[in-house]
Amino acid sequence: MEIAPGAVQDETRQHVEEEALAALVSQYASTLYRVAFSVLRNPSDAEDAVQETFLRVLRHRNGLGEIRDHRVWLIRIVWNIVLDRKRRAKTRPETDDVSELARVLPATGLSAEESAAAAQHHAHVLELVERLPAKEREVLVLSAFQELSSVEIAGVLGATESTVRSRLFRARNLMADLLQRPRSTR
Amino acid sequence: MTFSQKDFSRKDTVKSAEDTLRIIASLPAPEGLTDRVNSRLRTAPRTVRLLSWTPGAGGWGYGSALRGAAAAAIVCVVAGGGWRIYSRVQPAPGAGAVALPAPGGAARGGFSIGGSVHTPDPRPVLQHQPALVEKDGVGTNRPPQSRDAVPPIPNNQPVSDQAKKQGKGRPAPSATPPARPK
Repeated sequence: MEIAPGAVQDETRQHVEEEALAALVSQYASTLYRVAFSVLRNPSDAEDAVQETFLRVLRHRNGLGEIRDHRVWLIRIVWNIVLDRKRRAKTRPETDDVSELARVLPATGLSAEESAAAAQHHAHVLELVERLPAKEREVLVLSAFQELSSVEIAGVLGATESTVRSRLFRARNLMADLLQRPRSTR
Repeated sequence: MTFSQKDFSRKDTVKSAEDTLRIIASLPAPEGLTDRVNSRLRTAPRTVRLLSWTPGAGGWGYGSALRGAAAAAIVCVVAGGGWRIYSRVQPAPGAGAVALPAPGGAARGGFSIGGSVHTPDPRPVLQHQPALVEKDGVGTNRPPQSRDAVPPIPNNQPVSDQAKKQGKGRPAPSATPPARPK
């Protein structure tokens, strides 16, 4: 029985693509999850977003070789997915609840009282971040990822580096204004 | 450590806010995320196919013939349906006539014509003559007058009673309007 050389090539190519995809998953799934969680702040939604990202990659796996920076490319995909989901859901993230934040956030070395106060502070900050204009908020959230440079943030957002810098500057000023206002006026 | 905002300067305030975002950004991924993603990818369809066509016993040639026959059948059904509708629906006779609304429609609940009634103008219709072209300097710019045309009455002459009786008191409209009396 003869095996057609085309079939062997297809099988080999498919095997290579699967291996490349598995390598991408093991390398970047964690990063993508953190990006998704920082926007959605819901563990199951963030995981869904990561899975959807890799499903999209699977559909376009033929063009994987043409991608220069896989990390920025994947973060851009997951970023668009989570923004789209957030726009559709229009609900407050689950972890904006103080008790939920206290559960999720690390509280090593803090007493119960301090941990509760920290959770309250974090919830307040996140609430204020949600009040920022979308573009400034996006840059501020992405700048919290220390592994992302301003050039890479620009690549994710499809903007120039100088735009990212100016948006970050504006976002910080706005955050300072919001944080220094007394809570009663908000 | 307290989180009172009064204790913080503006810069420190922003820094503390960014610390919150940084803490969230550095939260670890759940256990087994990679395995779950990989298993999902294994079960996912490789390509998006609309109407995937499996070859029959006769191979792809047989399949394409069947596909052509199915397409022809669809075309026949669509064309037949269209012809059936066209042959049944005939245009109503006199559909081109436009019915004018009767006056006084407002009294019956329709729209009012605002008291305007179309009356025919008994005066003769102005003949629109094309511009004359002078040929070899012999022609004239005056429009040719027909035999039925009535010559204008000079303005400075009073209309005689006899002329009034004959109904010639009013000057007939002509191509050149009479001059206004001063």
